[in-house]
Amino acid sequence: MKEQLKNLDQLGRRQFVARAAKTALGVSILPIGAAPRLASAAGGGKAEHCIFFYMAGGMTHMETFDPKPGTETGGKTKGISTGVAGIELAEFMPGLAKRFKDIAVVRSMTQQTGDHRGGSYWMHTSYQPRATIIHPTMGPWAQSLLGKKHDTLPDSVVIGAGGNHPGAGFFGPGLAPLPIGNPDSGVQNAEPYKGVSEDKFDKRMDLMNAFDDGFRRKFKNDEVSAYTQFYEETLKLMDSEDLDTFKLEKEENYNQKVQKYGNSRVGKGAMLAKRLVKSGVRFVEVSAGGWDMHNDLWNSIPTRGGELDQALSSLIDDLKAEGLFEKTLIVLGTEFGRTPKINANGGRDHHPRVFSTMFAGGGISGGQVYGKSDKLGMAVEENPVKAPDFNATIAHAMGIDLQKVVYAPSGRPFLVAGHKHNHDTDQIESVGKPIMPFFS
Amino acid sequence: MMKKTVSRQCVAALAFGALILSTSWASAEMRQWTSSDGRKLQAEFVGTSGAGSTASVKLKLPDGKEVLYPVANLSEADRVFVQSNLPKDPAALAAAIDALVVKKAKESYRGLQGELAALPGNQDLNNDEKRKRKEEIEREMAMAIPNERTNDNQFVRRVYLDIAGRIPTYQEAEAFLNSSSRNKRAELIDKLLDSEAFGMRMYNYFADLFRIREGIFMMGNGDLKADPYIEYVKNSMKEDKPYDVMVKELLTATGKVWDTPASGYLLADSGMRLCNLSNTFTVFMGTEITCAQCHDHPFEEVYQMDFFKMASFMGGTETRARGGNMMMMGSSNYREEVARMNKVLKDAGKLRENENQDRNLGQWIGTNSIQVVDTGKNAVKLPHDYKYDDGEPNMTVDPGAYFGNVVDLEKYETPRQAFADWLASPENPRFTINTVNRLWKIAFGVAQIEPVYNIPGHLDGQAQNYELLTFLESMMKDLDYSVKDFFRVVYNTQTYQREAETMTPSLTQMDKGTYHFPGPILRRMSAEQLWDSLVTLTTPDPEAVMRRGADAYRNVMNEDLAGLKTAAQIEGWKERWRKAGGSLYSDEGGMVGRDDNVGGEKMFRASELRQPERADHFLRMFGQSDRQLIENQFTVGSSPQVMALLNGKITNAVLTSPDAYLIKEIAFGEGSKRDKVDKVFLSVLGRYPTSDEKSKAQSGMRAKRDRDASDKSKEAAEIAAIGDVIWALVNTREFMFIQ
Repeated sequence: MKEQLKNLDQLGRRQFVARAAKTALGVSILPIGAAPRLASAAGGGKAEHCIFFYMAGGMTHMETFDPKPGTETGGKTKGISTGVAGIELAEFMPGLAKRFKDIAVVRSMTQQTGDHRGGSYWMHTSYQPRATIIHPTMGPWAQSLLGKKHDTLPDSVVIGAGGNHPGAGFFGPGLAPLPIGNPDSGVQNAEPYKGVSEDKFDKRMDLMNAFDDGFRRKFKNDEVSAYTQFYEETLKLMDSEDLDTFKLEKEENYNQKVQKYGNSRVGKGAMLAKRLVKSGVRFVEVSAGGWDMHNDLWNSIPTRGGELDQALSSLIDDLKAEGLFEKTLIVLGTEFGRTPKINANGGRDHHPRVFSTMFAGGGISGGQVYGKSDKLGMAVEENPVKAPDFNATIAHAMGIDLQKVVYAPSGRPFLVAGHKHNHDTDQIESVGKPIMPFFS
Repeated sequence: MMKKTVSRQCVAALAFGALILSTSWASAEMRQWTSSDGRKLQAEFVGTSGAGSTASVKLKLPDGKEVLYPVANLSEADRVFVQSNLPKDPAALAAAIDALVVKKAKESYRGLQGELAALPGNQDLNNDEKRKRKEEIEREMAMAIPNERTNDNQFVRRVYLDIAGRIPTYQEAEAFLNSSSRNKRAELIDKLLDSEAFGMRMYNYFADLFRIREGIFMMGNGDLKADPYIEYVKNSMKEDKPYDVMVKELLTATGKVWDTPASGYLLADSGMRLCNLSNTFTVFMGTEITCAQCHDHPFEEVYQMDFFKMASFMGGTETRARGGNMMMMGSSNYREEVARMNKVLKDAGKLRENENQDRNLGQWIGTNSIQVVDTGKNAVKLPHDYKYDDGEPNMTVDPGAYFGNVVDLEKYETPRQAFADWLASPENPRFTINTVNRLWKIAFGVAQIEPVYNIPGHLDGQAQNYELLTFLESMMKDLDYSVKDFFRVVYNTQTYQREAETMTPSLTQMDKGTYHFPGPILRRMSAEQLWDSLVTLTTPDPEAVMRRGADAYRNVMNEDLAGLKTAAQIEGWKERWRKAGGSLYSDEGGMVGRDDNVGGEKMFRASELRQPERADHFLRMFGQSDRQLIENQFTVGSSPQVMALLNGKITNAVLTSPDAYLIKEIAFGEGSKRDKVDKVFLSVLGRYPTSDEKSKAQSGMRAKRDRDASDKSKEAAEIAAIGDVIWALVNTREFMFIQ
């Protein structure tokens, strides 16, 4: 081990310097090399894009993908047929039940923590939160290991997430997903401020360049030039059609589509995600909250569940109609499930022991359920799946090498789906294992 | 080793002629002097020369001959004797720093000159490599020549940004420029160090270093408030609490954050004690030992065992109190009390139909269990896969330090106190070095040793200027760890007061430590400096509004809950809890509401806003740290930043709408008769326009003038034109960078 680590010396030292440069001068020189795409091993590698739906707050498994009607913990929720004998979804997922042959459900997810941010962090990164490093999320991992997908569009976009998204982690701000708050408002500040005419804008730019001329001639410094370049690129971007990609209202038959996907955050998020993927963005995360149902659960589940079901069903239909379904992976995740025991306020509390997630498209074989919870939805009964396995499944579908070691600027090694040290081989290896039945 | 170097340095300093003789000491008494290696000498004390670790004593021998002897080579007792006679005034110390900087630069220049002369004959390089090396050498030689002294315009803007964290207001810039005092730079430095703004600026630095955030915990949900901890850091800086004292307080605080605000430091890593240890090493000793958590350090002599012996100092410290009764003031049992209060609310119809518990009450009151406590039981064990032969897996180990002084645990109540004393000690070879290295970087943009979080075990040859670094180290000790006094010296140096370097130091220069400070480097403003400078353009007093919440929070958390009998009383308590943190007050004492903002944006200093701001806020976009990791702020550019400056609300409305503060001030305010273009330039860039710039700006204003237009429309046109100039100036690189 020690010998092996010594070999890191060269690399480590260089990366220390790179980080030194970054922190001292604000210029990142860490090259993010593009790796050749892996030959699609064992059914993986078909997903060129991924749309990741993240249900913030802890999506109840018992009212979505793992109903327990008629048991003491099942509550008022009924099951509905999926067309596959012995498999029911909860009544709030009628659209997905109809499209069950296209989706693959995991009923044996399990987590280590019942706190929202810790759980969310783990699901997004495969790692537990640490106060000494931020681990990257899947979009930046894909960009780092597969190379940039599109010349001008960002590789990953996150729609509707709050401020706690781990983003690019140690890859740094250069690979950070572009954040979009509201699907309807597109990229922040992309157009001249209201009341600023083109003439006025040009005149101001002209003044700016004149006033700044002396300074720019004196300081021909990397950072100053970088900013000047950002101004030039941004002006080009403001004029380009790329920006239209982010404008949801430019979608053909906008009103009809909103009807179809649902006039909700998750519905419009799904619409925008499809639009972005179609234009070449690789990884889009759609984050939607409202799942932390401690109180009066059956009052809110019909709306919340209905919105999700409608959004996912419409997205599957549209991707199919446009021929994108086979190369676009749809994933649904959340930080944990909810307690089978109904609490004093008619709600369910945090339940990390067992919960459900879903995969579709991008080479996933639908019509199946992986893993099993016990009779009351309390614990995993068969085939536990942890966050690293969940992310390994995404990585495998996208053709990302699970065993590729990447070094953080501090010299510490990491893998896309978590890592552990194998004492027999004295190597580090992936903790996460893809759910292989999904690729059969 | 150390002593030898210091003495070399003294001779060198003498040779450079940067002597400040202090001869006021009159009583010439013959006494016995002892050197550090025990040699003795009879001599009269004449005075001292130099400052800090380069100082020498001037001694008169019995034969009447006078000699200079380095203070550093004297015995402990003799050093104490001369200490009070050493000049500690900032000017003397600053001159000594300047001499060391210039000396090193000259050495380097000569070395490079020699290499350049020998280059054509170098057999190891081909022609291409020679050409490349020649360029590098010439570039480095150019950077070894000290830059010109800043003019007053450059100086006033930079020193405001560095000490107060923002640009000067128009009035502040003009007051300095018009002052005819010979000492006006030193006077301004003193004034700024004593200002409220200094505390805010330094808080921003430490908030990034300590990762200060609302909710305190890394994965916190906001049930715990950071206000007491935030105010503690600001006040420590403002009151100039000695830095070593502050560090000890952070490491040894016990209790709840509203009672003992310094406990915020350990609470921040609640449940992650090994990470907390790594962070403590990085922040206070510039030492990266995270890797030793899992294996022996690959580059340094740090073994995994060392890490766990270190961690064991904090092994008996927990961030949660167990057991019910001890947790609260007054009330007997927390669960019973919360249940009682929920019942009162339910009976009064204050809860929803299907609910039996208030949504927040239990969680808020539950934060009473979050506190730093010493259990006396070491919970740190070697990892389950420990594989070296000096220990067994899952074994506990005794606390111990792998460098510095040997710690005697017997002398302390808890191992934690022993650790704090060991760490923040002048004897710790890394504590003071790390402190001065980090503070130097605040002033110059580059530290003596980069990266600052990883100071190598053997300093010589790694530091930019080893002699200077050890000088700064002993100076900091002499100044009793006063951060203000340290900065007072540094900002008074010629080195700081030179123009910013126009070239970017290369990575090799950073790595090898061959940047010799011809001046500070050119820096992009930090997110906070940028925001606070924009705030400065919206008000005559940028520090008028401050966040104050610690007292209210302490009161509400220490309330006797048993006294809350009625639903109204309980709801009143909840309301007080909600208002306790994060509230802004104007300096007249009134609370500042949302309506008092400028154009709907809270244009108040970054240190007084949410910590950190939300992810889509201007501050975060420009690199405010998310406070998840140490020094996680960034100054790298991006398109969203540029779009915010081109099209965002701040540049297009807050600063430039007809009712914006600066517009009104320039168009109608005091002195509005004076040249408006001068005033805009001075406000935004701290300098006057060139004649070209002036005519360009004025032509914009004139173009809108129409002989037939009414006065009102002329005025509107002029206001729009002033807005265009402000917009243009705020968008310049000159505004965004600190030169």
